[in-house]
Amino acid sequence: MLTLNYRDSEPIYGQIKNGLKKLIVTGALAPGEKLPSVRSMAASLAINPNTIQRAYTELESDGFIHSIPGKGSFAGRRQDEADQDALRLEALLEKLRELVAELRYLNVTTAELMAVVEGGLNQ
Amino acid sequence: MIEVKNAVKTFEGFRALDGADITVPDGGVYGLVGPNGAGKSTVIRHITGIYRPDSGEVLVEGEPVYENPAQKALLAAIPDDWYYFQSATVADMMRFYRGFYPAFDTARYERFKEVFAIPEKAVIRRLSKGMQKQAAFWLTMCCRPRYLILDEPVDGLDPVMRRQVWSIMMSDVAEHGTTVLVSSHNLRELEDVCDHVGIMNKGKVLIERSLNDLQENIVKLQAVWKPGEAPVLPKELEVLHISHVGRVYTYIVRGKAAEVTARLEPCGPLMLEALPLSLEEIFIYELGGEHYAVKEIIL
Repeated sequence: MLTLNYRDSEPIYGQIKNGLKKLIVTGALAPGEKLPSVRSMAASLAINPNTIQRAYTELESDGFIHSIPGKGSFAGRRQDEADQDALRLEALLEKLRELVAELRYLNVTTAELMAVVEGGLNQ
Repeated sequence: MIEVKNAVKTFEGFRALDGADITVPDGGVYGLVGPNGAGKSTVIRHITGIYRPDSGEVLVEGEPVYENPAQKALLAAIPDDWYYFQSATVADMMRFYRGFYPAFDTARYERFKEVFAIPEKAVIRRLSKGMQKQAAFWLTMCCRPRYLILDEPVDGLDPVMRRQVWSIMMSDVAEHGTTVLVSSHNLRELEDVCDHVGIMNKGKVLIERSLNDLQENIVKLQAVWKPGEAPVLPKELEVLHISHVGRVYTYIVRGKAAEVTARLEPCGPLMLEALPLSLEEIFIYELGGEHYAVKEIIL
């Protein structure tokens, strides 16, 4: 799954971290897909399990993977976090709709409104 | 935890250990490195309870290990000269090991028959050096020790077998929290497997740190200066080594890469690049200060 380059100046934990990140970003590891366990990775690459744990911990704090105690590590954010993101998005859109309605009531034209939106997007 | 506290051992007036201090944390892989004659094997023979220190302490889980069967039962070791009986086969030695280690894993022994392609009935004395080492690993890994002590373990093993035995050891570290103490000169290999490193010289431990710490606190800088400008480095930088080829200067400096770079930027280099050091380079530069360096002799 990963190949380590021993001549690279990048430390091994960094190579593991970036290698997995690449697999996740490109979709080779789909969200929710299980990552190899620290133990099996240590055995297959013949490197210190603590090194792999360090890479996993950093990937988790960067939000690329999540771990479920007793089950292992999985690609992508946790399902409940992803759900929360969706809820927040819905709440924000609802707020926007209310604002638009209020601005309409104050006779703001569509062109003026679009200008504001475009200005925000271009920022 | 394995602790060696201020251990001194003298052989006929020669101080093989001169106040050595070692702490091997649980669940880690500790690499013991140092030049020939530094005292690595002597330390290992103390930890396995073969030698008694003249002064100081050698403790396994807080108890002295010398003449202490309860502590020795926690350890398994592969010394650089592995002992076997003159006409013993692998199966004979297995029965010998099983007699000493109550936790000897016979099922694992059977599974390892496939891993190590050594006939069980082969007389060990007639095997090649590398195959004898394989037999040593085969039997030692079946003892399921809490502490695995290895003196030059992969010496004589072929590349496939090296990887094979490291893979077995690393999975034991991950799964059972086995603690490994390994001495080796193969620093490239140690870099993959160790999380702690101790550098010995002349019977003392010069540096003992986690590998991360060690690698993050020393940095190699490559810098190019404007033509004709003699670079004067800020005094507060601890520079271990300077060399240059043409206008490209290489510095080995103590400190974190970001801090050292920030200090040098104001000096106005045309190019400045910080590179991490390999364990091999750290070893060479740290011991260079101890008057142990490659002498440039032209024959």
